[in-house]
Amino acid sequence: MIFSLAKKSTLIVEDFAEFARSVRAMLHNMGATKVDIVYNAEDAIDACKARKYDVILSDYNLGTKKDGQQLLEELSKYHLLKSNCVFLLLTAENTSAMVMGAVEFQPDGYIAKPFTGNLLKSKLQKTIEKKDALQPIRRAIINKKWNEALENIQQISEEHPKYKMSCLRLKYQALKNLKQFDKALELVTQIVAQRAIPWAVQAVGEIFYLKNDFTKAMDIFKNMTTEFPMALEGYDWLAKIQRQLGQPIEAQITLTKAIEKSPKALQRQKNLGALAEENNDLPVMTKAYRQAVKHSTNSAFSSPDEYIKLTTALTRQVAQGAETIPEKIIHEAESVFAKLEKSFLSSSSARLRSSVAQALLYKANKDEEQEKKYLALAEKNLHKIDEQISAEVSLELSRSLKSLGKEELSDQILNEAIQQNIDDQDFIKKASEITSNHELIKVSKQASQNNSKAINYFKNKKYSDSILYFDKAHKLAPTNINICLNYVQSLLKHAQTLNNSKETIQNADNMLTAMPQLNFSDPRYARYSELSRLVQLMIQNST
Amino acid sequence: MQKNTDDVFNMILASTVHDMKNSLGMLGESLKSIFERIEVSAIDKKATELFGIVQYETSRVNNSLMQLLALYKLENEQLPFNPSYYNLYDFLHEQKLLHLPLLDAKKIQCEIIVDEDIEGVFDESLLGTVLENIIGNAIRYTRTKISVSCTHSDHIEIEIADDGFGYPEEMIKLAGDYIHGINQSTGSTGLGLFFAHKIAEMHKHKEKVGNIKLANGGSLGGGRFIIQLP
Repeated sequence: MIFSLAKKSTLIVEDFAEFARSVRAMLHNMGATKVDIVYNAEDAIDACKARKYDVILSDYNLGTKKDGQQLLEELSKYHLLKSNCVFLLLTAENTSAMVMGAVEFQPDGYIAKPFTGNLLKSKLQKTIEKKDALQPIRRAIINKKWNEALENIQQISEEHPKYKMSCLRLKYQALKNLKQFDKALELVTQIVAQRAIPWAVQAVGEIFYLKNDFTKAMDIFKNMTTEFPMALEGYDWLAKIQRQLGQPIEAQITLTKAIEKSPKALQRQKNLGALAEENNDLPVMTKAYRQAVKHSTNSAFSSPDEYIKLTTALTRQVAQGAETIPEKIIHEAESVFAKLEKSFLSSSSARLRSSVAQALLYKANKDEEQEKKYLALAEKNLHKIDEQISAEVSLELSRSLKSLGKEELSDQILNEAIQQNIDDQDFIKKASEITSNHELIKVSKQASQNNSKAINYFKNKKYSDSILYFDKAHKLAPTNINICLNYVQSLLKHAQTLNNSKETIQNADNMLTAMPQLNFSDPRYARYSELSRLVQLMIQNST
Repeated sequence: MQKNTDDVFNMILASTVHDMKNSLGMLGESLKSIFERIEVSAIDKKATELFGIVQYETSRVNNSLMQLLALYKLENEQLPFNPSYYNLYDFLHEQKLLHLPLLDAKKIQCEIIVDEDIEGVFDESLLGTVLENIIGNAIRYTRTKISVSCTHSDHIEIEIADDGFGYPEEMIKLAGDYIHGINQSTGSTGLGLFFAHKIAEMHKHKEKVGNIKLANGGSLGGGRFIIQLP
């Protein structure tokens, strides 16, 4: 069969126009008619929103902000790629110098620049062939249908022995997600026994970690960092385990090594900052979050966390009367707040966090007027909150507000968070250390107990009993989303057993309407929308 | 303090090499554009030949820069090594495609002898840089043809052979000591072989370590470069 790109839409992402044109000529020679060119990652993202490309050729070094690997991560994260889209990275250096084989989002191939049209053609042909052959597996994985993925893997690896290794890697991914840890371990152990391939070595450690065998996992990752000193994921894992085993200082040393080799990774800088905070190492904490904020601006994975943490570090420096002139630190902190508010314009919780952190900064600098100003602003922002605040952020806010002398606001935030997280033991423990209102904690325990009881009744199909206990739990923690959804589900099951179910269905409908708004990205959203659909259906049928 | 100076030097070296590589790319692309603007009738045999030479010399400089940068990183323990399974048939054919314009221009035959389903474990990018250089040199020194062959037993062995005059005896005797292969009079910088040797050594499996060998003769009667990877 003659290879042709006639039916494929292609995108070239390359900051060097002359070269982009030359690549386009190569693609035209392969029959391509739809070839778009953009000169940076930001425009590439817009292009991918407008059209789903079959082939994307991206330079690694894009000059501006994001590089080609970051572009791939962002496109994958926001599902802007077709499941059989071929993404090739064009690199100027040795390819493995950019990206190690163990990273999560892998391009389908690399081509070292400069290259000839013949080479590009050969690469594209092979990659498209492979991608098409493996597409059923990839589609199942995207839809998180792991068992279907396993069946596809079995079939495809028999049909195409050439893709055996890729199939094994996908098989590992499926087994891990199905929590079949023993099978997954057997698979990767066999691969490593043949050859120590970085991704497989990492996989062995990962499975030991998931099986809670931290000592074995630690050995694996220690070996990995010696055998593959540039495979930075090995350091990330090692540090994570060291921290968990109560060795935060060792963990900080481990991460520092990885950061020296590659300072660009946002998450790694954040992890280092958190460790330094735990170790009371203020200079390292400041430096790490400074880097995190710097790289956050280019990343799809940025969050207000790194900004707030950087200002926390700077505030501590002011409080401790560090050597530098406080004006300089305050000036830096102010610019971080400005950047934070600009980057997260539409987030009401980011604004609240920012105002609270600013009050803390001016308190540390003994500037009462400014402190009062930002406290008043914080109170105003608290009333405007229109989104769920995570457990971690709630702890941050209530801790800060308490230290600013606003116990009432602190408790208000904590109360809301406790209702939402009644089953999170770690969170409840931390919350009880902040508040002096122990009634809050007691109520959450009761709500949690009633919820568990109700679930048991539900499992045994005793729906009227389960409704009784969900109602008790709901009254104790009225904004808890899980309890609301459970309650609605029992009401619907119960309604199906009744002759006259109108009132019960109406109760369910009221419950869903009164429930706090769920974000589309919330993992519970699918369940919520399915329950709403059922309720509407049952209302129609009962009239 | 030493550490910081190294970091700065490393950064400057890396960014300068990138800049030089970009300049080379720009040169090559601009020349191509010039060539495309010239009327076909005006392009004679000599012009095509000269264009081929510029292309070849650009890719040679480019390859040397890649090797230098990799060696510098290796020295500073910053060279990533990422072995994986690759199909050798595909890999070697791609190496040939890289040199196709030069092979065509010089009318040199290039034969690849490898089974279609041989798989090997190696760092594709590093081994690619090694072979690009060795094959380029073979094309330069051969008379009519070169061959790239690969066998697989308990290790991979890739041989690049030509029908030229072969390697000088003193070079073959260097065996492993390629840094002393630098010879201003012959124009050999020693870089290619030194680099090949270093990269071969990075490939380890159990007790075994990769190696390179030079010889003369064989079926084509010229020079033979052999790289063995466990």
